[in-house]
Amino acid sequence: MKQLQVSHLTAGYHGREVVHDLSFTLPAGQVLGVLGANGSGKTTLIKAICGILPHKGQCTLDGRVLERLRPKALARLCGYIPQRSGLSIELSALDVVLMGFNPHLGLLQPPTPAMRRAASAMLERVGLPGRDRESYLTLSEGQKQLCLLARALAGGAELLFLDEPESALDLRARHRTLHLLRQFTAQGDRAVLLSLHDPNLALNFCDALLLVEEGRGAGLVHPGTDSDETLTAALSRIYGPVCLRRCTDDNGQSHLVMLKEEDVPCSP
Amino acid sequence: MTPSTTSPTRRPEAVLLSAAALLVAALAVASLLVGKYPLTVSGIFQDEMQRQVFLTLRLPRALTGVCGGFALGVCGFVYQTVFRNPLASPDIIGVSSGASAGAAAGILFLSGAAEITLAAFGGALAAVLLALGLSALDRRGQSGTIVLAGIAVHALAQTVLMALKLTADPERELASIEYWIMGSLNGVKASALPVNLAICALCVAALFALHRQVLLLSAEEGEARMLGVNVTALRLLVLLAATLAVAAVVSLTGLVSFVGLLAPHAARLVCKGSRLPTLVLSGLCGSALLCAADILARSVAATELPVSIFTSLLGAPFLVFLLVREGRRT
Repeated sequence: MKQLQVSHLTAGYHGREVVHDLSFTLPAGQVLGVLGANGSGKTTLIKAICGILPHKGQCTLDGRVLERLRPKALARLCGYIPQRSGLSIELSALDVVLMGFNPHLGLLQPPTPAMRRAASAMLERVGLPGRDRESYLTLSEGQKQLCLLARALAGGAELLFLDEPESALDLRARHRTLHLLRQFTAQGDRAVLLSLHDPNLALNFCDALLLVEEGRGAGLVHPGTDSDETLTAALSRIYGPVCLRRCTDDNGQSHLVMLKEEDVPCSP
Repeated sequence: MTPSTTSPTRRPEAVLLSAAALLVAALAVASLLVGKYPLTVSGIFQDEMQRQVFLTLRLPRALTGVCGGFALGVCGFVYQTVFRNPLASPDIIGVSSGASAGAAAGILFLSGAAEITLAAFGGALAAVLLALGLSALDRRGQSGTIVLAGIAVHALAQTVLMALKLTADPERELASIEYWIMGSLNGVKASALPVNLAICALCVAALFALHRQVLLLSAEEGEARMLGVNVTALRLLVLLAATLAVAAVVSLTGLVSFVGLLAPHAARLVCKGSRLPTLVLSGLCGSALLCAADILARSVAATELPVSIFTSLLGAPFLVFLLVREGRRT
């Protein structure tokens, strides 16, 4: 892929608009985070781009209009991880991951042995080694999320949509997930769009951040290149007064930390 | 989905399936031999009367018990998976009430068991098509819409049934209608069997072929769509196949409660997961339950009792057990 173009997207539920006239571009090789307060329209935006919600506007991937694609063609291009899967029947973790290969299989065709091996390897890669036969329903919420990540990665899509993938994960699993997503885009021909709750995680892992306020675009910032002042001003629009600090870890790697001003007074 | 590799869990699955198949085979043999007119294996070959009873009564009855029960078990599994509801059963989209109304019309206006079976099948089919047609009016194609449409069709069919009962002769026709509604394998006629069993076999084969897709439908609609599933079309196809199979069975037997609900739960209880072996086991549990209930129905009293009495007697405690088990889990 080269880029995802979202133009004048308006979407909502039962006639009530939640996302209003949003436009942005996601180039290949990038992880774009969507940040916003609760109810700002992050989930609605992702569901609308995926075609799960009816919407106005258009989403194109390298000139292909996503709205016109059949489910199988769409699934070959785009993978989706919901906040929580609706799977409610007894299935092994491996069977859940194998579902990711469905876009590449005929209606009656079973997964090939190579697909089964790839699915098992993917479970190991996301941090669930040896859990192939474990029931998906008995996994913890965090492990379920990792299993769904393995399913999305196994599908071989060019573009991944993730709806708050970090919400149920512990610190280690969060970082593993975001590192895997960075690896996914590293070759420059794939991209990730994900909504996040944690601005600190978003600032340190995303190439760009789309800020959403009451369903409207409140700015697009690039944590790697924009100045701290620009980032602070943009983030203050959706979180109220905040300040940014740069910390260096023991390996010498710099991290951005956002602090809420009311909680921690910031002085120069 | 099929198992990924040869694994330790495969052997128990094979053992379970073999044991269930043996149990069904034993019950089928018992079903052939047990009844008011005792049959022996040698007698079937040597005595003309015994041969006639075997060919015209016992064999159709045993075949209906095995094949009908299998279809009800498989369809119950499919309904519970597609509707993502452990209490879903063939009744959910009005097929049983449609069959009852059809059978009642057959009893009142037609003559002969085959005609009544045909009328029941017509009623069930009309109910299915009406429910699916009504649900198609909602362009969102949600599974909840089909359930609501089923409730509407069920209510309509019940109204028709009540109207037909009011016009029925209380001595003869009303009793026949009530007996049909209570379900029995007693009235199964060899002449009606081939067509109904062929429909059943075709639909069940389609459901087995689509098993992987049925599992995909257990995800939420948006999630399934993003896995490459044309949710609306596939759900319609799967429900049509399942409901046609159920219609083919209930038009032969009358209403049989609990088999479609309980067989998948029993299968999941012993065969964890929802893969192909569980689907097969659901069918075998359905066969065993229906055959066992039918044998009891013709053995425990001087007159033959409705089969649903025994499926309910076996089913209700099992349902309570499942409820208690779920309660302990949470």
